[in-house]
Amino acid sequence: MTTSTRSHKVQKVLERMGKKLNRQMFGSLVACVHCGMCTEACHYVLANPDDPTYAPAYKADRIRKFFRRHYDGLNLGRFFPWWVKARSLYTDEELEELKDIVFGKCTNCRRCSVNCPMGVDYATFNRMARGLLVSVGIMPEGVAHVSKDQWEIGNQMGVLKEDYLETLEWMSEELQDELGDPNAAIPIDKKNVEIMYTINPREVKYDPRSIADAAKIFYAAQESWMMPSEGWDMTNFGLFSGDDDLGGAVARRVYEKAVELGVKKIVMSECGHGYRSTRCEGPNWAKTDVAVEMESSVLTMLRYVKEGRIKVDKTRNTESYTFHDSCNNARSCGLFEEPRELLNLVVSDFREMYPNRAENFCCTGGGGAMSMSEYTPERLKSGKIKAEQLKATGADTVVTSCHNCVDGLTDLIKHYELGIKVTQLVTLVANALVIEKKEPASKE
Amino acid sequence: MEMSPLLHFVEHPLQLGCKVFMLSIYAYRLIHLFSYMAGGERQAPTGPPGTTRAKGVVYSWANIVMPWAMESTRKKPFYYIQFVIFHLGMVAVIGLTFIIPYGPGLLNSVGLVWVLQVMMAAACAVGLYRLYYRISSKHMRAISTPDDYFSLSLLIVLFLVGVLAAPNNIVQGEGALLTFFFMTAFFLVYVPFSKIMHYLYYPFTRYYFGKTMGYRGIYPVRRGYK
Ligand code: SF4
Ligand code: SF4
Repeated sequence: MTTSTRSHKVQKVLERMGKKLNRQMFGSLVACVHCGMCTEACHYVLANPDDPTYAPAYKADRIRKFFRRHYDGLNLGRFFPWWVKARSLYTDEELEELKDIVFGKCTNCRRCSVNCPMGVDYATFNRMARGLLVSVGIMPEGVAHVSKDQWEIGNQMGVLKEDYLETLEWMSEELQDELGDPNAAIPIDKKNVEIMYTINPREVKYDPRSIADAAKIFYAAQESWMMPSEGWDMTNFGLFSGDDDLGGAVARRVYEKAVELGVKKIVMSECGHGYRSTRCEGPNWAKTDVAVEMESSVLTMLRYVKEGRIKVDKTRNTESYTFHDSCNNARSCGLFEEPRELLNLVVSDFREMYPNRAENFCCTGGGGAMSMSEYTPERLKSGKIKAEQLKATGADTVVTSCHNCVDGLTDLIKHYELGIKVTQLVTLVANALVIEKKEPASKE
Repeated sequence: MEMSPLLHFVEHPLQLGCKVFMLSIYAYRLIHLFSYMAGGERQAPTGPPGTTRAKGVVYSWANIVMPWAMESTRKKPFYYIQFVIFHLGMVAVIGLTFIIPYGPGLLNSVGLVWVLQVMMAAACAVGLYRLYYRISSKHMRAISTPDDYFSLSLLIVLFLVGVLAAPNNIVQGEGALLTFFFMTAFFLVYVPFSKIMHYLYYPFTRYYFGKTMGYRGIYPVRRGYK
């Protein structure tokens, strides 16, 4: 690797690539046969049929070309680069171009990966490429801001501790009023309980009602639970930025808090990337085995209904509903049956969306796309596929177990004027809850 | 009639030498692949009960004979048929490179010769169509390299020559056999550096992908049918 003609950043990217590669990524980088089978799996391609630069293999080749030049053993790319279109990187401008591809033209949804006959997992090495760029400070502005907030303030929306605690207090009061029970408060930092409930900071900032809904369900189930004053953000921008150090640090905060407070289980509110990061990737990034059990609140709520700990009346949710699978839940964590099971228990009119589960299309807000405003026009255009999917269901409301998808879908619905509402399971379950009113107890 | 020394050379020592060369490069490639650490999963498994790493791997490997398993093959049965025909042609060509030198007696069966010829001719036709598709589709052009065009062209010609060489009839001249074996010799040397060596990695990429997807409950794929 000659250094003289390369910028310092390029030099670092190429050096670090060798350290980031693992066997799976190496396999994915060498095994593509350019068959094009993945092309139509990608929502960007389907929405831009005349632009081949959106094809997953084309995008993957922007990374593959320098991989072939430097890390592909005896490949012709090392000796006759033009033969396999291999080319090294030299300038910062090239890194900027790469940034627009890996952040702006792919949501890491993994739909192409599950459609590749060779088992090439492009989304995984696209994330690696993001991480390489982030390591030299090249990233969309939004990614830089959010990452900074998550490093420094401890959550990705920069919510201050006092604001978070104030919101919990406010929601406690609302709940007490609604239930007429002064004991119906949100416990904070209570030790040795069963459940530590962790959330997406978006809930504090824009959707505090979802916290109150969850609290109402825990109350109805008579759960021993609490919310921590720190380590409450189960989202993780490391998943989107490809920064495993950030990913590990954020996940560790949650795990350590749970251990410190002696809880039995960490329950994560409905958030696809949060669930994937904390439940499925965090232990690997943090290089730690987590002693505490973890589950999605979808599973918790479903268990409550099945065990008879809460009673629900599905006639209270009167509209027609469809379900959108978050890519992170469905294609990276296998969470797709339980939300449907729960949904069918709390609504009467459920209409399946096609394709679904691991074959579902991205809401277009995945991979951190909602924080990268410079790519909004492309994102909204690529949402055409999702919009058509939604429209075909004829449902009034789309339900999703992901806060990111709530935002992504809301944006699309507005853009394509679909007039569909977006909600989450927690809201529907809380609405369907049958709680026998207790005799008002006096506040002690 | 005895074969010429040249034909003997290309059928035997040359093939053997090239095979040894190919295997050495393959060995190097696998050592290189395994020099990278495999990414592991520390978390507890996720997904529906009954999904496991092992089931994921088996499902992933079996994917090749389950065109319904992926949307990409399910929606494009014509592509899947092309894939099958093309690779059966490869089996015929590879088989022929062993039958002619080591079991020529088998080719006394006109039936077997016909089967091999049909397999290779069909693969040749599919190859020509794939080449046309690669050139005519802008999406395919965008992802194609000179190696993609050359490898495909090489195989198309090899299938064609294979059809001519299959009867193994030196009475009518050695041209077809010499061309076939010179081509296979070149093929053996070229393949380890080209896209054609994807089959070397295939079991591993599918193994690791299946392992991950099985552990996380995505494989075997479940979908709500319409
Ligand atoms: S389907 Fe797989 S092998 Fe074919 S072009 Fe796409 S990534 Fe490459
Ligand atoms: S991961 Fe998703 S968005 Fe990215 S190329 Fe593949 S299908 Fe397209």
